[in-house]
Amino acid sequence: MIDLVSLAAIVRKEFIQALRDRRMLAMLLGIPVLQIIIFGFAANLEFNRADTVFVDEDRSEESRDFLRGLTAEKTFLAHGVVTVAEMERELRNGTSQVGVVVPRGFGRRVEGVEAATVQAFVDGSDPTRAVAATAALEQYASRRTLEALRGLGGVAGVARVTFEPRLLYNPSLKSRLFMVPGTAASILVILTTIVTAMGLAREREVGTMEQLLVTPIRPLTLMVGKTIPYAVFGLVDVTLILVVGNLVFDVPMRGGVAVVYLGALVYLVSTLGVGLLIATVVETQQQALMVGFFFLLPAILLSGFMTPIEAMPRWIVPLTYLNPVRYFVAILRAVLLRGAGLRDVAEPMGSLAALSLGVLLLSAARFRRTLG
Amino acid sequence: MSAIIEVVGLEKRFGTFQAVRGVSFQVDRGEIFGYLGANGAGKSTTIRILCGLMTPSGGTASVAGHDVASDPEGVRFSVGYMSQRFSLYPDLTAMENLDFFGGAYRLARRARLRRAEALLGDVGLSADDPRTAGAMPGGVRQRLALAAALLHGPQVVFLDEPTAGVDPEARRTFWRIIRKLSDSGTTVFVTTHYMDEAEYCHRVGLMVDGALVALDTPSGLKRAHVPGRLFAVRGTGLDVARLRELAGVTHVEPFGAGLHVRGDLLTAEVLSEAVRAHGGQGVLVEESAPTLEDVFLAVAARSSAG
Ligand SMILES: Nc1ncnc2c1ncn2[C@@H]1O[C@H](COP(=O)(O)OP(=O)(O)OP(=O)(O)O)[C@@H](O)[C@H]1O
Ligand SMILES: [Mg+2]
Repeated sequence: MIDLVSLAAIVRKEFIQALRDRRMLAMLLGIPVLQIIIFGFAANLEFNRADTVFVDEDRSEESRDFLRGLTAEKTFLAHGVVTVAEMERELRNGTSQVGVVVPRGFGRRVEGVEAATVQAFVDGSDPTRAVAATAALEQYASRRTLEALRGLGGVAGVARVTFEPRLLYNPSLKSRLFMVPGTAASILVILTTIVTAMGLAREREVGTMEQLLVTPIRPLTLMVGKTIPYAVFGLVDVTLILVVGNLVFDVPMRGGVAVVYLGALVYLVSTLGVGLLIATVVETQQQALMVGFFFLLPAILLSGFMTPIEAMPRWIVPLTYLNPVRYFVAILRAVLLRGAGLRDVAEPMGSLAALSLGVLLLSAARFRRTLG
Repeated sequence: MSAIIEVVGLEKRFGTFQAVRGVSFQVDRGEIFGYLGANGAGKSTTIRILCGLMTPSGGTASVAGHDVASDPEGVRFSVGYMSQRFSLYPDLTAMENLDFFGGAYRLARRARLRRAEALLGDVGLSADDPRTAGAMPGGVRQRLALAAALLHGPQVVFLDEPTAGVDPEARRTFWRIIRKLSDSGTTVFVTTHYMDEAEYCHRVGLMVDGALVALDTPSGLKRAHVPGRLFAVRGTGLDVARLRELAGVTHVEPFGAGLHVRGDLLTAEVLSEAVRAHGGQGVLVEESAPTLEDVFLAVAARSSAG
């Protein structure tokens, strides 16, 4: 199936060509570092503070106290007390994301130990922020209630149950820790798929393919030979990304480095294989680029990198089983953030290995040894 | 001598277009076989089929005992191929290119480097030339491509217009190498647009629109297709139509700046009188030996007329 003499010759030739081409080198080694830094900073989904306006229709001691307490919460950045019309304008133009309206009679109801309602308007166009703000509002309300109960001295006899959540692995919920592995997987898939697809298409365009086809090189030897050098470059990229991720974004390495590299190697074989597969269906480099992006966009979007796969529509989920990015994102997060070992990631690792082998064999089978 | 290439009723269609139409011929071991034809005649297509690069649509072909359709692997090891378009890696040096292609033919590294060095010497190149193939002038590049085609010691080499766009001196050098190859027993199958080069071939096949319309030695072709005496006529105001009607004239063809006139009973004196009588000035008539160009013109004219 594979001839070692030919394989070594192909690997040597690909290395010489890649190392001689400065643009290619810059692309292979410079761009990943640049991208991880840019995306790492940009991919900041953390909800810090919500700009908040208050409408106090009650103007009582109680309503003022309630709002003062809310302002003290670090979640809400108070923009002052306004009228209903002003609040509506602020929400519409995005100056504020939260509007809290204390209705008339609030103070009286609290005084009389009756249920009181406070209305809150939350800008839902940014769901992450909206969910966090709503949760913070509810938390505040229940704390006020508990304090009121305690003030009445009536906690006795009420069985009080509280959750004490402890966040594991990423206690401050830094989205960067979550995003950097996803970004790394995305950068690798873009780079390797495009480089191999274009490389093989270029041989066809320049005419060297014709000279190659007249030799007894076997398709699988050619495919593996074209994979190895770029897998090596890919592993160099993984190293650069891990180092930069750690130095710049404090992304930890809680599990074994070896597991990360094993995962990366298997992943790279699959993404390079996809590039070669693409090259077997196109004639020109331009077509290779187009088909490449046709694969890359869904592969990245459906990887669980930004949206959890569990949140995707049912019918789309089976498609993600064919997506190498999905498995590598899972492996990276598990090993880097949760300290998973090889045993823990056996499932995604196994799936990825099967996928890699399949893609490589398929591209070798599809590779035509004739011009027509 | 035994045939090393045997082609019977070979056909190649691209969709509805027929590029090769029922071509049959044999090539002997050690022969220099020339393949002549205008652009699009089907020369490259024939070569690609014989190298196993394309599958025939009909007919059979075997090279060094391997059928091109059923045993392309056997064919690959027996043939060397130099394509019409330069197809080595332009970003690699001569040695790096040969190293790679030698590996592709599964030659062990040490052996192939030695062989590459020797071959480069044979074609007049240096093994430690630091230039990449893309930076070499056309003639040098073609010799490098030839060396690449010979790395694995093939029994047959297919050279598709190896001297296209190369200066005359470089062409002569190239043909010296071809003759040496043939002397050492390698069969050379070569296509060309240059009729003077075809004279160096042992036998020449003429392709017109996908069909092989003539095949013989250069002198045989001339005898068969350019009978009678041939005169080169130069001067101004030459009237082709009137000359064609002249008694004893069988053919008039434009040739270079002048005309080639053929006829059985002509003499130079009679012809030059007649040309002057029809308004020719500064007329110079010389008897000349027919060239393959004359053959080609005669055959092409007949093929397109029929
Ligand atoms: N892959 C292909 N698909 C469709 N048509 C083709 C293909 N290859 C060649 N042809 C056509 O077949 C005909 C013969 O082409 P071929 O390259 O064999 O000619 P040639 O004799 O080598 O000409 P030239 O002197 O220009 O090299 C041409 O009309 C060409 O356009
Ligand atoms: Mg041609």
